[in-house]
Amino acid sequence: MGVIIGNIVAIFRKELQSYFASPLAYLVAAIFWLLSGFFFVAILIGPGGIIDQVALVDQQGGSPQPIDVAYEFLRFFLNVMGSMTLFLLPILSMGLYAEERKRGTIELLATSPLTNWSVAVGKLLGVLTFFTFMIVPILVYEAIALSAASPPVQPAVPLVAHTGLILLAASVLSLGMFVSSLTDSTILAAFLTFSLNVFLWVIGEFSGNISGIFGEVLGHVSLLKNYDTLVKGVLDPSSFVLFFSYIILGIFLTAQSIDALRFGRS
Amino acid sequence: MIEVEHLSKIYGSTPAIQDVTFSVEPGEILGFLGPNGAGKTTTMRILAGYLPATSGTARIANYEVHEDSLAVRRRIGYLPETPPLYLDMSVEGFLHFVARIKGIAAGDRTSRVKSAMERCNLTEKATVLIRKLSKGFRQRVGIAQAIVHDPPAIILDEPTVGLDPRQIIDVRNLIRSLAGEHTIILSTHILPEVSMTCSRVAIINRGKIVATNSPEALIAQLQGGSDYELEVEGDALQLQKLLQVLPGVCMVQIVPTDILPPHRSLIRVISSPGAELGRDIAAVTVGAGLGLYELRRTQATLEDVFLELTTQEVNNGELEIRDSQNSAPSPTTELSGEEA
Repeated sequence: MGVIIGNIVAIFRKELQSYFASPLAYLVAAIFWLLSGFFFVAILIGPGGIIDQVALVDQQGGSPQPIDVAYEFLRFFLNVMGSMTLFLLPILSMGLYAEERKRGTIELLATSPLTNWSVAVGKLLGVLTFFTFMIVPILVYEAIALSAASPPVQPAVPLVAHTGLILLAASVLSLGMFVSSLTDSTILAAFLTFSLNVFLWVIGEFSGNISGIFGEVLGHVSLLKNYDTLVKGVLDPSSFVLFFSYIILGIFLTAQSIDALRFGRS
Repeated sequence: MIEVEHLSKIYGSTPAIQDVTFSVEPGEILGFLGPNGAGKTTTMRILAGYLPATSGTARIANYEVHEDSLAVRRRIGYLPETPPLYLDMSVEGFLHFVARIKGIAAGDRTSRVKSAMERCNLTEKATVLIRKLSKGFRQRVGIAQAIVHDPPAIILDEPTVGLDPRQIIDVRNLIRSLAGEHTIILSTHILPEVSMTCSRVAIINRGKIVATNSPEALIAQLQGGSDYELEVEGDALQLQKLLQVLPGVCMVQIVPTDILPPHRSLIRVISSPGAELGRDIAAVTVGAGLGLYELRRTQATLEDVFLELTTQEVNNGELEIRDSQNSAPSPTTELSGEEA
């Protein structure tokens, strides 16, 4: 057991180090920070933003129920972040295996005493840690904005919401890792993962429009629907189960695909 | 140490290797010689546990490479055709990573990495990013990663390909210095390389082993020396000793066979190029009092392999001049065909 954890840690550290040494990863982070900063401002204080709208409602005599501005803002902002995550993360996950295949380093990993899945787990943890690092600045300005809220925001709500964001990212990255293990072209891996995410996004958005059991099923397996549940601050165990299922599915398929790569033609 | 038996690998319906059998004794360097596309890399990959064989077995240190894959992987160092390097890592950082995934205990890693770097003359490049290293240095890092965990068996796939002559000499010396404590199998398509580094050679062509022998005998055989086969009655071992000392004889083998009547043996004599030995062999055999039943010259069986092998190294001086003129390094020694 100790050996397996040691191996996972070794892969994790190597992977994390490669992200911090990669200009592309910083570029993705920069785009992410730029867009999230823009949405943050636009949603909070921009024209037509939450504060504007509440002021408008107040002018018209106020709403019958009090509006929790902080909560509404957090929900709206994190929903946007969730969608952005779907479209930016393929660039982080595209190289996970495709790069190893292209450079031939997969032969080093495959001929070392490591199991396929410990490599996959280490890689996923590495890229997820980089993503967590990407959302740290956003947490800082959320904290500043939310500290002005009166009455103060319950810390549990943003905590659950951000755990949801990380779980969403982990699911997307895990699937992206599997796609990356299918090819030695990083561009193709990014494109395929992107298409897969668009598909997941579409079923999330439109599951409500489909009636009957089929629509219900789509709603249950949709990443974004379940993410929304957590963003609302609802600790729904079924959402956690769903996210972990996606993560484990991605790791499992990755390990299988690396096996197939070696055992089939090569 | 390494035993390969009836190994075959079939891709779809194309066989890459067929019924490959050989063994490597502890401390020995076996050269795996063959033209490009002969199945060298496939064999190396099977030995390293990267590919499964279609049939047959390969054992390293008594572990089957496929069934006990993890046990084998702990005991081998493997350098694939393109060295598997992470370009964004420093030499030292990379070797630490490899030592870690090969299961070296935390306390020993620093000393193992240090000694691997010393062996491969990498100490002064320890903190340099691999991206910034020349091809020769990258190859040395590749070899360092194969020996960092001090494996009993080392598998090197074309370790000198694409290097310039001076780097080739360095790498060969390095490989030679590893023999003894490690068992090494290296593949190459360069004929002189095996005579310079290996104690034994297996020649593979179109997926089949066509000969296994000492480098001297094989090279003589390859370069057009004829083989003689004789069927004798009497003390074959004594005759072997007598024939061995004849001028022009490279190697004398007693060929195991069960089609001959009792007391008769089949002896194969491999001569050096240009030697005409028929007369001497007959004289010695008869002089020693053995019955000579048959003496014939056999065709050199390896001719077609030889045509495709790289048989000469490019002269160092010439290459350096060419390099400085083109400024594009072209250190390949592909002279196949021309020389034959």
